[in-house]
Amino acid sequence: MSDPVTLAVVRGALEQITDEMDLHLIRAALSPIISETNDCAHGLYDAETGETIAQGSYGLPLFLASMQWTVQRVIAHARADGGFREGDLWFVNDPYISGTHLNDVVLVKPVFVDGELFALFANTGHWMDMGGAVPGGWAPSATEIHQEGLIIPPLKLCEEGRFNTALLRLIQANVRLPGQLEGDLKAMMNVFSVGARGLDNLIARYGVATLRSCIAEILDRSERQMRSYIADIPDGTYSFEDWFDNDGVDDVPLKVALSITVAGDSLRLDFAGTAEKARGPMNISDGTTISMCLVAIKHIFPDVPVNGGAFRPISIAIPEPSILAARYPSPVGGTTDVTQRVVDVVFGALAQAIPELVPAAPFGTTGVLTVTGKRPRDGGYFVAVYPYPGGYGASAGSDGLVNGTPPSSMARFMSVEMSEHRYPVRFEYLAIRENSGGAGLHRGGCGTAYGIEALADCTVSILGDRVDYAPFGIEGGGPAAANEVQLVIDGAEVIPAMRSKAEKLALKAGDRIRLASPGGGGFGDPAARPPAAIEEDLNNGLVTASNASGIYAASVTRSGELAGRPLYRVAR
Amino acid sequence: MAAIVGIDVGGTFTDLYLSPGNGEPDRVVKVPSTPDDPSRGLADALDACGVDPQQLGLILHGTTIATNAVIERKGAAVALVTTQGFRDVLELGRRDRPSAYGLTGIHRPLIPRSQRWEISERLDHAGKVVTPLDEAGVRELAQALAATGLEAVIISFLHSYANPDHERRAAEIFRAARNDWQVVTSSEVVREYYEFERTSTAVVQAYLQPLVSRYAERLQGRLVERSITAQTLVMQSNGGLVPLAQLPRSAANIVRSGPAAGVIAAARLAAQAGFDKIITGDMGGTSFDVAVVVDGQPHVAETTELDFRIPLRLPMIDVHTIGAGGGSIAAIDRGGMLKVGPESAGAVPGPVCFGRGGTAPTVADANAVLARINPEHPIGLTNLTRLDVDAARAALGRLGAGIGLDAEDAALAILTVVNQAMAGRTRLLTVEQGHDPRDFALVIFGGAGPLHGAAIMREVGIRTMILPPYPGVQCALGCAIADIRYDMSLTVERPVSEVAADFAADALAAQRREGEGKLAISANDIARTALDHVAQMSFAGQIHSLRVPIEQSWTPARMADEFRKVYAREYGEAPGDLPVTLVSLKTTVHGLREQAGAAAEAEAAADAPQPAATRPVRFDRWIDTPIYRRETLRFGHRFPGPAIIEQADTTAVIEPGMAARVDRYGNILVEMAS
Repeated sequence: MSDPVTLAVVRGALEQITDEMDLHLIRAALSPIISETNDCAHGLYDAETGETIAQGSYGLPLFLASMQWTVQRVIAHARADGGFREGDLWFVNDPYISGTHLNDVVLVKPVFVDGELFALFANTGHWMDMGGAVPGGWAPSATEIHQEGLIIPPLKLCEEGRFNTALLRLIQANVRLPGQLEGDLKAMMNVFSVGARGLDNLIARYGVATLRSCIAEILDRSERQMRSYIADIPDGTYSFEDWFDNDGVDDVPLKVALSITVAGDSLRLDFAGTAEKARGPMNISDGTTISMCLVAIKHIFPDVPVNGGAFRPISIAIPEPSILAARYPSPVGGTTDVTQRVVDVVFGALAQAIPELVPAAPFGTTGVLTVTGKRPRDGGYFVAVYPYPGGYGASAGSDGLVNGTPPSSMARFMSVEMSEHRYPVRFEYLAIRENSGGAGLHRGGCGTAYGIEALADCTVSILGDRVDYAPFGIEGGGPAAANEVQLVIDGAEVIPAMRSKAEKLALKAGDRIRLASPGGGGFGDPAARPPAAIEEDLNNGLVTASNASGIYAASVTRSGELAGRPLYRVAR
Repeated sequence: MAAIVGIDVGGTFTDLYLSPGNGEPDRVVKVPSTPDDPSRGLADALDACGVDPQQLGLILHGTTIATNAVIERKGAAVALVTTQGFRDVLELGRRDRPSAYGLTGIHRPLIPRSQRWEISERLDHAGKVVTPLDEAGVRELAQALAATGLEAVIISFLHSYANPDHERRAAEIFRAARNDWQVVTSSEVVREYYEFERTSTAVVQAYLQPLVSRYAERLQGRLVERSITAQTLVMQSNGGLVPLAQLPRSAANIVRSGPAAGVIAAARLAAQAGFDKIITGDMGGTSFDVAVVVDGQPHVAETTELDFRIPLRLPMIDVHTIGAGGGSIAAIDRGGMLKVGPESAGAVPGPVCFGRGGTAPTVADANAVLARINPEHPIGLTNLTRLDVDAARAALGRLGAGIGLDAEDAALAILTVVNQAMAGRTRLLTVEQGHDPRDFALVIFGGAGPLHGAAIMREVGIRTMILPPYPGVQCALGCAIADIRYDMSLTVERPVSEVAADFAADALAAQRREGEGKLAISANDIARTALDHVAQMSFAGQIHSLRVPIEQSWTPARMADEFRKVYAREYGEAPGDLPVTLVSLKTTVHGLREQAGAAAEAEAAADAPQPAATRPVRFDRWIDTPIYRRETLRFGHRFPGPAIIEQADTTAVIEPGMAARVDRYGNILVEMAS
């Protein structure tokens, strides 16, 4: 067994290496999605098992475990090809192998020490365009993956140090931003030398043998840590179901079913009963599902380190085919919304066992609104993307947050003033959506409402969900308000046929888009909410007087008025 | 020359640095802070340093009152007035959460929703009126609110940076409704786009203004009581000073000014000692602050998050903080791994060795058990004459038992882990800013910094560490030597090709006039002024912009050329012929004060330094280690590690394998022995 100080130092040093790799790419990437929203990940992986040894903390939560999953599959390909050789570099974006979507390209680079394979570095970054029907790759009515872009199976981009220029040129010929793609690829390749430098220092300091035993021990310790948290969860099987409104093509709800079995210090997640297949893009690959299960668990136990050891006590079964284990040629562009529901059902199941630690459902839809067209000023093409913010679920400790970012992401919402400079749009409002948080002892966070007026003719696409099935509360807490999407076209109010999914709607100048994202679910019995909290909510306009006296069962009296707004007193 | 004092009012201690100006040596004083009325602690420090009020030329000081009021939500009762449809911008922020993992926790906006109001008016991005200001509505609202106990009102309308007319008119109406409340407009605080960040900054300003006004009045009163007529200047987070009288208008600018002062002092001392690239490390009781200085210029952040969803969009010295300090608590996690911090024992109960009821072992306890600090002369502690090393040893023994270590090895392990955390953050900061940390010198300060600097230097691979003369009161020193500084900015956000040839020159000239006007009524010892013009520019579509130093006379095309050069320098390669956007124009006016300059010794000491004592100190083993008194060390003295240097405000550790020498300015330079 390694001594505790060396272990702590080596773990810190490995995490430092992958953090530095994250920061190098975020700084060097041309893709604004990488540099603005950290849509990337970097890690060091075991060369035999593919287990995560360390992964940077600046990348997106989404990639928490999908990187390990991808590396394991690339190892299998490399073995079939005669094994990794020094100077090789593999890459892949085939989502049935590497998870998420075609825009996330994964690079895997073997690290050799004195001629012997020591470990694998891998990274992923979101490239802006991979060809396909729609710029940016995201096509709400896609029915097969080819409409979403170019597929790269696991291939050697470098073979024993020789870069395959022909492969790069072929890819560049099929995408809309070939120059940027090359820049991002080179930046991702350069980051490996940053990682190698850090690893070389560590090897020089401790030697390969000590480092190997430390790494094994670190993974074992993390496993022990995860098991100790699981052991605190009462044994049993906890089941939960939730639904998607539809897949954007067929108006049929899609079920997500999960049973979590806690046995001692192990967890088993089984998605048996989940809908088989969506014709539209509401599918994700198994790697993404696994990653999101672990993201949900880390949201419950934030102290657990990100490495393969922590993943060991958790097994995940996903029926194939299903919307959570998409198979060729199912489109996977709905990943932004499907991933959110995986988090929701993990919360829904575990809340039955450990309600003191699990929050109620967050808003649960990334609801990407895309506005495209030509700027009247200069005729330039623009793409404006407004992903949904929404409320978080309440928890045993507090009310829910307003205007949260999806659990899989850390991406922010664009400034209104910045938007109006860049695109021919005008915001009518950007506001807390009143009365939308689930009622409870602790209230769910309210959703966000925003209205946008088109100042020029443009095309609008929306991919959201949670109109028919609202985010749920736990422990007696109520559900949040569901999603609402409305357009005003030629003065007439229009609700899309698929409610929150619509592709390429033509808007004219003066037409409007009005969105109201869901809040988060409530926690606990609303009748137990302290009157002072209800009074504050009422005077802040977050709940209505009728709900305060109805759902919250409080006695409400009007005590006055300030500048046209009523003031209330609340008692029990 | 008259005496100058620098005073840093911190959460626990008020530090004072006195330069008597009459040839007498500098003096430093540490007294307990008085959070109920911080001006009292400041006056206590002045009394304790024994300066003659008649000899006092200038008082320069930094304070945490503003920072604490925001964090603890103890500011004024204020209301916010926004454009119809946008009163929630302040609470919504820009879609985020407090930390990457964990979906719990809430945000407490500085103004509750019930005090956020909307007015019908709207401008477009060019500042053109889309909906006229509803003046009758403003009047009605102002009259209704005037009857309540509000202390201040913030007016923040969309696109007011492009055209402040509506905000100004609304402010006039509010002032007319009541003459004793503060009315703040967003465009007077920040003349830049990003509605959330601008509104938040204006709100912080108004939220603090009444409190800061009262503080300024009380302080003035205490100085008058002492017949002190010296001019008083206050430190800002941009590293410059502002006169006490102007303080209320700059309330938001003094947030986090203490750490900024420390960086300013470090930059100045290092430049004098011949180092142009430095990393500053400031370790106190609860946190480690790190910043980067290149060519004497501290890295400046455009936006700083004071607390979750409370950004300040003002140029501030970019100081990064991690929870690693003398009071950081060590624990064993569920996987059996040792971790240190971010939980801190704070001042109460404090580390075990303080004997105030603390039971959790801390970094300070580790230093005590390893005899790195002198148990008989604890520093900066009132009512505490010696450290309880036995209790610390027992606590470390209990911790170590869980991972098979005895008390001393557990103490060493704690230092290893906390030093690695600080070294790691130091490296990450330089990587984020595109530097190689090995090209930098480390200036280490703060009460606990010099105990750990040697290890940080070794871990990061830094070649030289600088121990300034008064590491424990570095921020007070920084106040004493800072210059006056005003920043002006204006958002343009137009393609360079659409900017009129003389637009920039006119805008920069106006900013210069504004800044020089403020300087004219500032300090009484300004020797000369200096001016910087900067254009923030980006390629069309990019969200992050780059800071491009420019001249007032430059044409837009000349600026775009310079931007491409800066871009290539920062990122290696500029993308083809993308159009360039002029995001904003900025001017900084500096009032450079006369500097006494640290008294440089002309003659190197011919003798060898004499340790005051030796005591066994634990490194990888116990070593009889020479203990030097800082005041006995002279220019030219050299000595090898291991060594301990004790002084009134801190203790420094020089590790085995390192060599120390004293430069002519009294800094101790530590290097790896060759």
